[in-house]
Amino acid sequence: MNQTHGKENFLRLIEENKRIIFKICNAYCSNKHDREDLAQEIIYQLWKSAGSFNSDFRFSTWMYRVALNVAISFYRKAKNIKAIVPISDDLNHVPETSGTHHIHEENINLLQQFIHELRELDRALMILYLEEKSHRDISEIIGISETNVATRISRIKEKLKQRFANINQ
Amino acid sequence: MEEKNIVDIWRSYDQKLEESRILNMQSWVLNLKNFEFLQSQKAKSVLNRLTTGKWFTVILGIIWVVFLVFLVLNSLTINKIFFVVSAGMIAIITGIAIVVYLKQIFLIRQINHSNSIVETQDKLAHLKLSTLWVTRILFLQCPFHTTWFLNWEMLKHAPTGLLIFQVAITVAFTFLSVWLYRNISDKNMHKKWFKVLFGGSGWTSLILAKDFIEEIDEYRQDHIA
Repeated sequence: MNQTHGKENFLRLIEENKRIIFKICNAYCSNKHDREDLAQEIIYQLWKSAGSFNSDFRFSTWMYRVALNVAISFYRKAKNIKAIVPISDDLNHVPETSGTHHIHEENINLLQQFIHELRELDRALMILYLEEKSHRDISEIIGISETNVATRISRIKEKLKQRFANINQ
Repeated sequence: MEEKNIVDIWRSYDQKLEESRILNMQSWVLNLKNFEFLQSQKAKSVLNRLTTGKWFTVILGIIWVVFLVFLVLNSLTINKIFFVVSAGMIAIITGIAIVVYLKQIFLIRQINHSNSIVETQDKLAHLKLSTLWVTRILFLQCPFHTTWFLNWEMLKHAPTGLLIFQVAITVAFTFLSVWLYRNISDKNMHKKWFKVLFGGSGWTSLILAKDFIEEIDEYRQDHIA
């Protein structure tokens, strides 16, 4: 396999999973410029770490590890960490279509805001949970036991339910 | 709100991403030609950020140590004993700091983003905190900067007042450097003198690293429980 073919293959895999990269960038960066920088950094680190990819694991599991590690490191390096960003500025550009759509959008914003308020590791855990990864996968990606994953997710969900309940009251 | 609803909201976020074509906005990154350009640019910047600064310090440190050793070797007389001991100690302490820096560079190169998040982030946070070690060690040089210029002739003919002043300064610097060596640690990070010593952004990054290590430890404690 020549290098160009290898790159094309790699970029195809990235293309298939770019939604994940975007969501991670959105969860860890507060502005558009930072998100683009982080997306580039993640893709670069994925390419750089491609040699360490073990085909026994799924590509997405490996990708989550690299992407979340890069995102957390990037977030921690940022000089001015902005506290809470209530809504992605990109998502504000989506036109409204109906009342139901508006409710959905409010819920998405609320969920995003909640994720931004979580600490780095909890944030990673929540993203993986929402992406419907199994406890086993989450345990492999984060590096804690499955029991621990279950306990932590349960605590975070409880907080989230309370948050939504308070808003709806 | 039920568990299913939360996941449904996240799914609708997926749908929203499609509708808003946000993902296409980043498609330039996925173009092969742009990717190759990005690769070459990032290869430079990543190295810059992680190790170039440390390599630069190491090279400067080595030049400084070689220069001091050269001076010491050319001053091995009893009259220059103060200079020989002072410059020799400064060279040794700088040498130890260089070894710590080289160890940090080695650790940076060992960091693998494919490892689990807890493992990788723990290494990175500890690496950040290890800068405290270099600072502690370098402060031990302070007293020797107050003695390198002394010689027996100067001491014989100096007025008593000047001698007392010299001894007071050297003792004060010795006390200060030993005190800092013993007290510069993550336990004292929240103290005012620590914040002044490390400056605003340096202090913030150390505090963030320490807090993050505590968060990681908390995760591990749950694991043990």
